[in-house]
Amino acid sequence: MSTEATIVGAVSERAAADPVKQSQRVARAVIVAPVLMVLALPWISTPYLTILAIEIMIAGVFASGINLLVGTTGLVSLGQAMFLGLGGYGIGIGASVLGLPLWISVPATLALIGVLAVGIGAVCTRTRGVEFLLITLAFSQLFYGAAIKLRLTNGSDGMSGIPRPDLSFLGLNSDNPMVFYYYVLAVTVLAVAVVWRVVESPFGSVLAAIRENERRAVAMGYSVDRYKIGAFVLASIACGVAGILQAQYTYFINPDSMSWQLSGEGVLMVIIGGATAVTGPLIGAAVFVLVKQGLSVLTTEYMMFFGIFFMLVVAFFRGGIVGAVQSLFEKKS
Amino acid sequence: MQLFLTQILNGLQLSMLVFLLAVGLTLIFGLMNILNLAHGAFFTLGAYCGVAIAAATGSYWSALVMGPVLPFVVGFALQLLVLQPLAERGRSTHLDLALLTFGLLFATAGAVEWLYGSAFHAIPTPALLSGHVSLLGLSYPAYRLFIIGIGLAVAVGLNFIFDRTLIGATLRAGVDDRAMVTALGVNINVLFAVVFGLGAALAGLAGVVAAPLMSVYSQMGIAIVVETFVVVVVGGLGNLKGSFYASLIVGMTDAMSQAYLPEVEMFAVYALLIGVMIVRPQGLFGRVGRVA
Repeated sequence: MSTEATIVGAVSERAAADPVKQSQRVARAVIVAPVLMVLALPWISTPYLTILAIEIMIAGVFASGINLLVGTTGLVSLGQAMFLGLGGYGIGIGASVLGLPLWISVPATLALIGVLAVGIGAVCTRTRGVEFLLITLAFSQLFYGAAIKLRLTNGSDGMSGIPRPDLSFLGLNSDNPMVFYYYVLAVTVLAVAVVWRVVESPFGSVLAAIRENERRAVAMGYSVDRYKIGAFVLASIACGVAGILQAQYTYFINPDSMSWQLSGEGVLMVIIGGATAVTGPLIGAAVFVLVKQGLSVLTTEYMMFFGIFFMLVVAFFRGGIVGAVQSLFEKKS
Repeated sequence: MQLFLTQILNGLQLSMLVFLLAVGLTLIFGLMNILNLAHGAFFTLGAYCGVAIAAATGSYWSALVMGPVLPFVVGFALQLLVLQPLAERGRSTHLDLALLTFGLLFATAGAVEWLYGSAFHAIPTPALLSGHVSLLGLSYPAYRLFIIGIGLAVAVGLNFIFDRTLIGATLRAGVDDRAMVTALGVNINVLFAVVFGLGAALAGLAGVVAAPLMSVYSQMGIAIVVETFVVVVVGGLGNLKGSFYASLIVGMTDAMSQAYLPEVEMFAVYALLIGVMIVRPQGLFGRVGRVA
């Protein structure tokens, strides 16, 4: 008994003596385990789960982009779905109208989104708060209307036959869900890494300063308008990437991908996840996609439950899941 | 020329319909600083109440009177029991409340669809107003003139209440300095809830009034509410008179583009809004410098 107690005591003493190493080990385990799981997922799970994971990652990229505006900069936009739609339409038009290969149409689409976002961002960032919310909404409705009216986008029928990347030089076929999973995973990791670097950069610090106290940021000599437009552009490009993935995933794009309900879903994911830079939107996207899937099994009245879910999250869960877990740990320690 | 005149009347009628919605939205924003994205839900609620009452009683007029009652009650309760407590619990940033009402908008549309299905409904035009009126050499549906009349009556009535009565004075004081009004012994929470209910009732009234013209379906509120947002932003958030003029501008733009430039019909009003935003971000009739 006593020896056991000594051993336990010694172990905990050693752990206490080197808490940094201990926490590093825990952190490594916390990081490595999910990474291995994500990498192996298509092999160890069912095709249904693989598809679900693809949807989560695409939503995660979308939410990461929105989070750059909502979480980091404090600008709540209800129009980011317009860039999601533009991404999909960009490669759709590139493929079926212009006959361009993806390696041209994807960079061209993202560049075009970037240029558009500079203009739209310049107008929108002249306002703040609810006015910003309303004007982003108006812009997205403008594009939504254009997508329905224009012949180029095939109206409300949408465009089908969006190409997935040609991976035959690797001996792979991206129509295979498993191959597509790794493609989406690679793009997601890249996009989230870029967003993470942006948030951690000096540029990101200024964005956070704008969120916390815009006047002080102005007083410190930052031209906040440029930073806001920069955040808007980066966020929009991330949403465009999500749109490209989404269109490739479904082989299809239609005006509904620009609806303001979709923009709201993105904001909801950000709120669910909390404002943490990298993990928040991904967790939010995962929760959202899983809840949506669960609801669609239970009921056909998705819209009603989406609304109720949205209200509950905003009313009781403002810090998000990550925030709730964090405050739980803070209370314990 | 006749076509043009008809379009002007159509534009006026649309303007007045949008005004009924926008005035409530702008009143709620000006007073409570809440952007009520769920305003379209009250429009839908009013329309469905109207349909149910008209079907039960067979009378358009009882639908017109009773239809706005439920939106009033729901709006009153929403402000008093949900939004006000949340604002007091520090969820004050009105963005949170705006997002909450965003959820409510979709929840209501979903609930209506669940109850009534996604079919289209309508209220028959009342016999008294089903004819045409000859006006300036053209024959125009009496019912559309009736809508214009209702809109103008509401505008004049609200203007009178706001400028000439004690309630109006209290409301204006509440917009300017909420703490002071509370100190003077006004139960501001109830007053706010009443105003919220009134705004909701006006949206419900718009729903009933629109029912004989437009089809009544579960997502009708979502469709029209974005146009209403355009009005309140162009008019300046929280500006009552601004919302009237902006309704005219937006309604006319929409009607004219529908008639003469159908290609741009879906986005003419948004282009208008963006133009206004570039020139005057605070709205055409807005006061400068509400730091949101």
